[in-house]
Amino acid sequence: MVISLSHFRKYYQVYKKEPGIAGSLRSLFTRTYDTVKAVDDISFDIAEGELVGFIGPNGAGKTTTLKSLSGLLYPSGGSVTVLGFTPFERKNAFLKQISLVMGQKNQLWWDLPAIETFLLNKEIYEISDAEYKKTLSELTDLLDVSELLKVQVRKLSLGERMKMELIAALIHAPKVMFLDEPTIGLDVVMQKKMRDFIRTYNERHRSTILLTSHYMEDVRQLAKRVIVIDHGKILYDGKLDNLVRKFAKYKVLSIVLDSYVPPEKLKEIGMLADYNFPRAVIRVPRSASNVAAAQLLQKFPVDDLNIEEPDIEDIIRDVFQTLG
Amino acid sequence: MRHVRVFLLYFQDALESRSRSLVWFLITLINPLIYLLFWRGALGGQPAMVGSLSLSTIASYYFLLIIAGSFLQVHIEESVAYFDIQEGLLANYLVHPYPYILLKFFTELPYRMIQGSFGLVIFLLFRFAYGELVAFEQSFPLIMVCILITVLAFWISFLFKMILGLSALWTTDFRGIAELASVIILLAGGFIVPLDILPPVVARIAYVLPFSYMIYFPIIAWMGRLTMTVLLRVVLYQILWVAGLALAYRLIWARGVRKFTGVGL
Repeated sequence: MVISLSHFRKYYQVYKKEPGIAGSLRSLFTRTYDTVKAVDDISFDIAEGELVGFIGPNGAGKTTTLKSLSGLLYPSGGSVTVLGFTPFERKNAFLKQISLVMGQKNQLWWDLPAIETFLLNKEIYEISDAEYKKTLSELTDLLDVSELLKVQVRKLSLGERMKMELIAALIHAPKVMFLDEPTIGLDVVMQKKMRDFIRTYNERHRSTILLTSHYMEDVRQLAKRVIVIDHGKILYDGKLDNLVRKFAKYKVLSIVLDSYVPPEKLKEIGMLADYNFPRAVIRVPRSASNVAAAQLLQKFPVDDLNIEEPDIEDIIRDVFQTLG
Repeated sequence: MRHVRVFLLYFQDALESRSRSLVWFLITLINPLIYLLFWRGALGGQPAMVGSLSLSTIASYYFLLIIAGSFLQVHIEESVAYFDIQEGLLANYLVHPYPYILLKFFTELPYRMIQGSFGLVIFLLFRFAYGELVAFEQSFPLIMVCILITVLAFWISFLFKMILGLSALWTTDFRGIAELASVIILLAGGFIVPLDILPPVVARIAYVLPFSYMIYFPIIAWMGRLTMTVLLRVVLYQILWVAGLALAYRLIWARGVRKFTGVGL
């Protein structure tokens, strides 16, 4: 296994201040601390070449796990190994094989063209000239940024900057990538380009990727396997398809009506999730979806009907409500 | 060669911020000039001696303080405390297979070199205009020792400021410690007056602190006010301070990095 966590825990001591001036004065002499269990006894393994989606709400423990896997944090307990190394020892041989990409943090020099940061990383990672040229050429072609290499970073758009950040993070051809919200803040077109790049890179290099994202489309498009985490505990670890089957116990009937039907009537078919005439969305039990569709067509003036899987966001929300 | 290439890349970045360097240099320039004007006014028309110092000696001191203040007074602590620790940029450094301290050294050195060169230009201009006020007597061996003292002074300053910056790993508000350190350095480093005209007790305390080895001793060494024996003693104390601060840095780094949580990531 490339990544292996066993009973991993990360706890923080957080100062808790009593409200008001009395609390402030008391805190001068004595302070109380709470233990926050950011990650609490989680275990999973990831094999070489896997691209795994790591999802959960804010504060679930995703980033803490990623930071621990990349060697930024010391675990409070349990064991963590990546490529056979203990991450927090931060040995150079380990750091040369991993990359942490944080959508909200950048490493590029703001006032210089991105190529200068790539050259810096070439020196830092001790990449040979030939290897550097080959990797840079491949990445710039894939991301279509060859023309932008000599442009000052501050003059680039957010999407272009993010592409350059990715190149800086991948110039040493890491075997393991931790991608923390790589598409955050990007428009829909750029998000798609990023996803295409990540998929191609993963297939071409068989690199192991752990991806967190709030955009479920990222996860849906890229990850066959997902790990769902909430309150520091793993709620689900398995195939995305199985997650849908397990938790999406309903299907969605999207209809377009010819003439107005009172909502009460539509509720007889199933749960009316949305109604904005002429469009309506009805949730029905998965096993009864065909019967419900037939009923709709029979009883109401339906112009168009689609039977769909529920949105992945809704499924995940159900997972959190059911297991969280 | 790898380290040289890294340094040159950082130098390029610093050159992009040359106007910022100039502004910072002007800030450094103001204080010595004000002190110099004060002494000139205070001693004007008199035999011009304060203790054992003549107006010419005092003028030389403040002119050299312009260079020392801009080249030897490292300002890396704010970048370490505010950006790296409090805003979490340290995470970028920690995942790189290259020592953090060296990257910060290469970040800071170009700025000191650029601002120091501004100081050198100003110094040469003053020397050209007011040659009679700026007196130097130096021989080649003394110059060699002075260069060594300057290099060691830079390392003391750099290591001290790195440690100061790392204190942000333990404190909520770094500014208090930073301001306190500034005040102490101002007085004990010789930024206000040469240490030998301070009250003897204060001067003795200042001599045992590292700050005098950052600024004061390099200045009076370049002025030729120290014998070779004293110069070598200064070098010895500087080496001890560099070793002590390097050890302290290692210990603080090893402990502090465990406390780093990468806030805001």
